[in-house]
Amino acid sequence: MGERTRLFKNGRIASADSSDFREADVLVDADGLITAIGSGLATPEGSEVIDCTGCLLVPGMFDVHVHAREPGHEHKETLATCSAAALHGGVTGVVLMPDTSPPVDSGNLVKSAMDLVSEVSAIPMYQSGCLTKGREGNEMAGFSGMASRGVPMLTDADRTVACPDLMRRCMEYACDFDLLVTSHTDTPALSKAGVVNEGRVSYRFGLPGIPAISQELAIDRDIHVALHTGARLHLQQLSSARGLESVRRAKEAGTRVTCEVSPQHLVLTELDIRDYNTHFKFNPPLRSVQDTEALVAGLIDGSIDLIASDHAPHTEFEKSSDFGSAPFGATGLETSVLVLHDRFIRTGVFGWDLLIQRYSDAPRKLIGLEPVVIAEGCAAEFFVFDPAAETAITREYLRTKSPVSPFLGETLAGKMRGTVLGMAWHGEE
Amino acid sequence: MSELKPRKDLLDIESLDLEEIEYVLENAVPFKQLFQRSVKKVPTLRGKTVLNLFYEPSTRTSSSFEVAANRMSADVTNFTISSSSVVKGESLLDTIETLQAMRSDYIVIRHQAAGVPGIVAKHTGASVINAGDGYHAHPTQALLDAMTIREVYPEYKGRKVVIVGDILHSRVARSTSTLLHKLGIEVAVLGPGSLVPGGRHDFMTRLRSWDEVFDWGPDAVYLLRVQMERQEGQFFPSIAEYHKMYGMNSQRLVRMRELGAYLMHPGPVNRGVEITDEAMRYERSLISTQVENGIAVRMAVLHWLKPETDKD
Amino acid sequence: MNLSKRLRTLSDTGDIIREEILSPEGIQEAIAVMARDIAYRCAGDNVAFIGIYTRGVTFARRVAAELKTQGLDYPVGTLDISLYRDDFDNRGSELPRLESSDVPFALDGARVIIFDEVIFTGRTVRAALDGLMDYGRPAKIELAVLIDRGHREIPIQPDYVGKKIGTTRDQYVKVRFHEDDEREGVFIVKKRAGQPHHPA
Repeated sequence: MGERTRLFKNGRIASADSSDFREADVLVDADGLITAIGSGLATPEGSEVIDCTGCLLVPGMFDVHVHAREPGHEHKETLATCSAAALHGGVTGVVLMPDTSPPVDSGNLVKSAMDLVSEVSAIPMYQSGCLTKGREGNEMAGFSGMASRGVPMLTDADRTVACPDLMRRCMEYACDFDLLVTSHTDTPALSKAGVVNEGRVSYRFGLPGIPAISQELAIDRDIHVALHTGARLHLQQLSSARGLESVRRAKEAGTRVTCEVSPQHLVLTELDIRDYNTHFKFNPPLRSVQDTEALVAGLIDGSIDLIASDHAPHTEFEKSSDFGSAPFGATGLETSVLVLHDRFIRTGVFGWDLLIQRYSDAPRKLIGLEPVVIAEGCAAEFFVFDPAAETAITREYLRTKSPVSPFLGETLAGKMRGTVLGMAWHGEE
Repeated sequence: MSELKPRKDLLDIESLDLEEIEYVLENAVPFKQLFQRSVKKVPTLRGKTVLNLFYEPSTRTSSSFEVAANRMSADVTNFTISSSSVVKGESLLDTIETLQAMRSDYIVIRHQAAGVPGIVAKHTGASVINAGDGYHAHPTQALLDAMTIREVYPEYKGRKVVIVGDILHSRVARSTSTLLHKLGIEVAVLGPGSLVPGGRHDFMTRLRSWDEVFDWGPDAVYLLRVQMERQEGQFFPSIAEYHKMYGMNSQRLVRMRELGAYLMHPGPVNRGVEITDEAMRYERSLISTQVENGIAVRMAVLHWLKPETDKD
Repeated sequence: MNLSKRLRTLSDTGDIIREEILSPEGIQEAIAVMARDIAYRCAGDNVAFIGIYTRGVTFARRVAAELKTQGLDYPVGTLDISLYRDDFDNRGSELPRLESSDVPFALDGARVIIFDEVIFTGRTVRAALDGLMDYGRPAKIELAVLIDRGHREIPIQPDYVGKKIGTTRDQYVKVRFHEDDEREGVFIVKKRAGQPHHPA
């Protein structure tokens, strides 16, 4: 697992530019640099050979919406388990949400978070900062301190800045630092007691619903404020067709707005919630078939810029209460690539090139990082994927501390053989 | 003997086959006849335990279940857990552990959160009867409502029933409308736009006024209990306005009489809100019959369900 | 279905008939004898019949009809004893349909005769006694059966018997009346596999 030369033999290299694969061997040296790519490479002495026959080599994914829960909620997840989960899912870098305890709303807290990350995480993690102090939505947080520590974005993570005036001031001030303002789009007055999409399913289950307008209104508001202030805006977790339409129109009008969608919102609908299974309880909620179809189309045509899992670990105990009381969210780092392969790539809806664009390149670009490629002279940062094998999503399979996933019990097409990040190979021996 | 498979729990109406529904409704009749005897008890469930677990206060439903269980000679224990002593999530699993240790044969549970009876049913071998969970379901209410309608309309297929009031928050509306629909009875709803959900079943036709209701010609009018204060916000201006628009008053009673329509209500009644004092004396009111049938139906349900006692 | 095959099975259960114990004529004869016996022993009393569902009811009605021809009009009530059985836990996969018990007369002070078509272990009659007493307090309770096949598990004996037969425990005795069934007679049958059995 440590420093040796590794030869990845007979694999097919995927890239963002082409739906074709390049059949070649890849040689990674002991420093984690890709020194050679070609067919029939000789095996250097003392090197480890990883047989990639039938497998794909895919640039590492990057997830801009991850809750690692440390500090403060380590019973749900820690930075270490989050890092292990990410590598297990082919994700080689993440942006951490600031909803820890204490919330990251100052430069000092950003620094302590980053120090902790460098101690325990095997992957780069970028700590984002809060928009408002304590995420309370009343006063602005200290942007300059956080900016100097290199926060990639400002967000109140799962909370909205309800007051439009404060949101405007935040965006105006964020512009001074060219900071990305990331918004959890929701209108608390409309969503307050809701736990599921408002509609037929909320009726049948007898649960209070969250109407789609709750997010749609917030999207419209934030877009208008962003256009007015010139700020860069990123919208989290799109869930409805109308919301996507607003984003499209905003982009056409020249607003500097991007948006993300999660694998669960691409693949599941409210109809998949059976038996009050809380692993399907999300915020924003899973919506209708029409919404889901629109989101998939939006991902393909680029109206949706990127994929982000909203990896939200909770303990099994917390999720075992009734649907109304259980916390929102499930894990996603380890299942995202597998699910997207199982539902879309295997069935030909889109290819690896699109996945790399949306889940590797665009997320990195969002926070100003260079895309990752598998090329000579570059640092090795890719995962090996066997599309012909299968993965049963079980508690034992998951490396995250939180055995919560709507895909538990499913067998997905494809298998992660392992992830290379620099000198380390996190995978099968 | 019937070909029906036995069932452990009664959680909702949706999951019941028509055959099962007919079975319970038909069996409820002999149970009702027992009420005429001086000895109203039968020894069928002697030695069995029935636990009444009520997280929401309800003297009406809990006592109905208690009477039903007593008349089956079962041992009844009542637990009323007030919402202040319930810590969300935590208590539920802990309570379930306690329930498993008690090895009850039947658990009757009423809870403010939808889905809880199902969770309890998964974790215990006892037969779980949903006595009302949040806005979701109240299956025994639906069964007693159906029994009541079948008594006055033996040829019930094609009959019309309109449900009036707060459909959005009513588990009675959901369960009863689903059951009546399964039996081939036409269902309509009347209520304010803010309380008649768009996501309701397609078969629940929305009528816009009492005039429209009476033109439609209901065989029974089912009034729901209305509650103005809701934590999620305001859905309707005031009780006075509700009573004026949707209450059963003397003028509407005249039309009821002309049609020979019956009046129903799940209770408890809010006089002056859903219904006037005068309307409570309507000669075709089935409200007290509903209460009586409630006991018979609950006895039939206790007789029908089969606990898996080796499961705990 | 050809005639010989039809004669060999009971149409309602498909059980195969091994032996005919009583023909329809035999049944009628037994009923006539029993009616005379009852008329004699109960002379002057306030008599009521209670039939146990299902065929006990038919049996009671037949005897009452016979007595009516002699000018004695005894009322017939019906009793469903399913709620009084002692084997509720062993219901297995069958779900019993309850019948309406109907006891349209005062029992207090009456001489009640319970009717069932067969007595075997006696448990059904025990359940009937419990059920009956929840309706009132008769002065005297007696038991009339068409067939007594022995093998009592409870100290209950009939007062009026149509025919007493010797059987082994594993045999099945079926009484059929044309009011309820296609064919009339008392038979020893071999059970079709998979059929439930409730020892009476």
